[in-house]
Amino acid sequence: MDKSQAVLLRRPQRWDQPFDPTITDADVSWLRTRTPFAAMRDDAFPNSTPLSGILRNDCKIRRCQRGEVVVREGDYGNSAFLVLSGSVRVSLDKLPPESLGRDESRTKSWFDAMAQIWRRPRVAEVRPSTSVVTQGDSRIGAIDDRQAIFLQDFAGVFAERKSIALGPGELFGEIAAMYRTPQTATVVAEDEATLVEVRWQGLRLMRRDKNFAAQLERHYRQQWLTIHLRETPLLRFLPESVLQQVADATLLRSFGRMEWNTDFEKIRKLPVQDQIEQEPLIAIEGQLPTDLILIRSGFARVSQIYGAGHQTTAYLGKGHMFGFPELAHNITRPATAPPVQLQQSLRAVGFVDTLHIPIEVFAETVLPYIRQEELPLPEKVLPNSTEPYHAHKERRVVPREKPGEHRAPVADAPPTFVSTGLIEFLVQERLNNGRQTMVIDLDRCTRCDDCVRACATTHDGNARMTRTGLQHDHLMFAQACMHCTDPVCMIGCPTGAISRNELSGTISVTEPICIGCGTCASSCPYSNISMVEIRSPAGRIYQDKSTGLPILKATKCDLCQTQPSGPACQNACPHDALARLDLSMVGPLDQWLGRRR
Amino acid sequence: MIHFRTRRTIGLWIASLVGALAFAIDYWFRSRLGNAAIFSGATLFATLLLLVAIGLRKRLVMLPLWSVSSWVQIHIYSGLFSLVVYGLHVPRVIANGMFEGGLSLLFLTVSCSGLYGLFVSRTAPRKMTSVPGDYRFDRIPWHRQRLAESASDILSSLDASLASPVLATYYRDNLQPYFASRVPLAFLAVPNGIRRRRMLSRLAELNRYLSEECRAAAGQLAALVRTRDELDFHFAIQLRLRLWVAVHAILSMILVIWSLLHVLLVYHFL
Repeated sequence: MDKSQAVLLRRPQRWDQPFDPTITDADVSWLRTRTPFAAMRDDAFPNSTPLSGILRNDCKIRRCQRGEVVVREGDYGNSAFLVLSGSVRVSLDKLPPESLGRDESRTKSWFDAMAQIWRRPRVAEVRPSTSVVTQGDSRIGAIDDRQAIFLQDFAGVFAERKSIALGPGELFGEIAAMYRTPQTATVVAEDEATLVEVRWQGLRLMRRDKNFAAQLERHYRQQWLTIHLRETPLLRFLPESVLQQVADATLLRSFGRMEWNTDFEKIRKLPVQDQIEQEPLIAIEGQLPTDLILIRSGFARVSQIYGAGHQTTAYLGKGHMFGFPELAHNITRPATAPPVQLQQSLRAVGFVDTLHIPIEVFAETVLPYIRQEELPLPEKVLPNSTEPYHAHKERRVVPREKPGEHRAPVADAPPTFVSTGLIEFLVQERLNNGRQTMVIDLDRCTRCDDCVRACATTHDGNARMTRTGLQHDHLMFAQACMHCTDPVCMIGCPTGAISRNELSGTISVTEPICIGCGTCASSCPYSNISMVEIRSPAGRIYQDKSTGLPILKATKCDLCQTQPSGPACQNACPHDALARLDLSMVGPLDQWLGRRR
Repeated sequence: MIHFRTRRTIGLWIASLVGALAFAIDYWFRSRLGNAAIFSGATLFATLLLLVAIGLRKRLVMLPLWSVSSWVQIHIYSGLFSLVVYGLHVPRVIANGMFEGGLSLLFLTVSCSGLYGLFVSRTAPRKMTSVPGDYRFDRIPWHRQRLAESASDILSSLDASLASPVLATYYRDNLQPYFASRVPLAFLAVPNGIRRRRMLSRLAELNRYLSEECRAAAGQLAALVRTRDELDFHFAIQLRLRLWVAVHAILSMILVIWSLLHVLLVYHFL
């Protein structure tokens, strides 16, 4: 095509959409005078992403009032916070859910559960007024142009709990933002405070400043690294001193972008081969292994070159490791035998956070503490082995053994009934993120819709699922919340209305504090959250007093956590066609398929 | 998780053992010149109550009373057991007299419908999966309407060329009635490809009279005919499954009421 016919446009730039469009040059100049930005050197940043640009585009100045909840324990966030003035209080004890506007989900009594049959409202999406606005110890208030949740009795809530105060210059929430982990504590503004909220992209750029990067890494290593290593089953026999040596030598790496959900929308439109090419490589097939790779968060695709493309042989998630058989073989091989190269490639599917234990450290400090039976058989590692090596044999995170306790190493058996095509499909559609994915065997499903009816019965006549969705072979992955391993829907909720139950892992919406902004619904890559207009028991639509607009609430599958039966859809299926399965591992799906063969 | 094959073996073993036990008790009653019909009748009536309890369980999905699929297993093997007990209670195929004869005929009808249901619920899903598309039963009329509209849109988008009247005539005489029609009873009884093949072959015959543009439109219409046929297939199979459930449930309720009257009569004359 003639280039003169092309449409000329300005290429989209990284900072086209600043985090806070209201931030001014004066604000940036002022920030440059505050700790730690004052100590950062301009020459540490490239011309394309100067510090002033980061402050201008990746930061937001937040004015907080006394009692405002800045960060809630258990929430997923993508921002770190720096105290500029005033102070915030970090609760070291767990705050009661009701003080944060959340309900402790209680299981209904049998009578209340049965009463749903005759108490079903005549119109859809009916809520009592108590479900529309918060009634507990918290209240929703507006500060500047945003809404926030406040503790009603700040002094009372903190009086009997251990807490620490953070003052100007102190940073919090950076681990959750950088490594996509739940917040470990609730932080509340103690008095009027000014914070800088730095989104994770900016935080990463700021790591170009050596002192800042060192501070972040030091904090992570002190607080978290040994915990993560200790949770790795392969390292469970390492004495504490040796574990510390491993921690000191471990490298921290991240691959891909945290906003994988938005990238996924674009990537899924590409041809399949191009989709794989878009995924950042963590380790390359055919290269000599240099370190043991532990997946700390996110998902990775294990692939082998097959013909002109890449065949997915497995996917790894939190707690899995990569490269162990090759490393172990190379270290223990006889001097005359050649070393083996990596048999597979490892690619980041979305965002992956990894820990790398160098081969020397692995050989000297880790290998002596690995039991003989946990070492891979040489014939499984060698390139000419007839039986392919299955990454599923890699071990997953289990708690460390207590003294005197002996536990067999946890190993997922290689899948028998999950085909390579199905694995490819699961990874391609990112279904491996689901912990409670609704899977329907279409060879057994009579399309009776008893599952949909049961769902409606347990949700006041409003089904929270539809019997439609992605299909592969004879399996349907129905449209219902998957209660994901990486719940991107929880990121950005301004009031923390969408939260994960710590014990069950169920993600649910606390309606009284849901302001209907739709952030969760637009973030969900699987379109499993709906925004609905709600009505009074008389059937009238609730409207906002000030704007006259209908009040919206986010609705989704709550896994029937308040029902005595558990998930009604699964219970109601007469033909064992429907199951809620954890697809972050292949095992449960393999077992489920194996049951019917 | 128990493998389905293992579960089936366990179910059959339990049903056989309980059936053998019922047979032994019945024999014991008879050998002692007792009234074995009371035992077998009471067992049969209790089994009938257990069999219809699944309907109640299906409505109480919120209660942890085992999953409905477990109840279906109990239902299947209780049903088989009830056939054994029926054999003990009514030593002929159909009992004597109008009242008892009718009751036994109804029992056998319900049993047959149950066995048919077992067969159809295991085979129909595979048939539906093998045909492209997955349609919700209540949305099928809407899909049908959409197909008719799409066909109409294709026709109206054609230029008034020399060849388009040929296609327009064929559409008016054949395709429009086809897309607007309900599914014929014969197709509902035995889904087949006769109508589809007839439509497609006639459409193919027209090709020689059509311009390039009309031929492309005819191709699109052929695709719609295929989709409509698939939709009709799904409709027929899903209707069959739904009708079976309705018929089986209604007959079962009549059977329980009739049996209750039978029990009351027996007690009256005992």
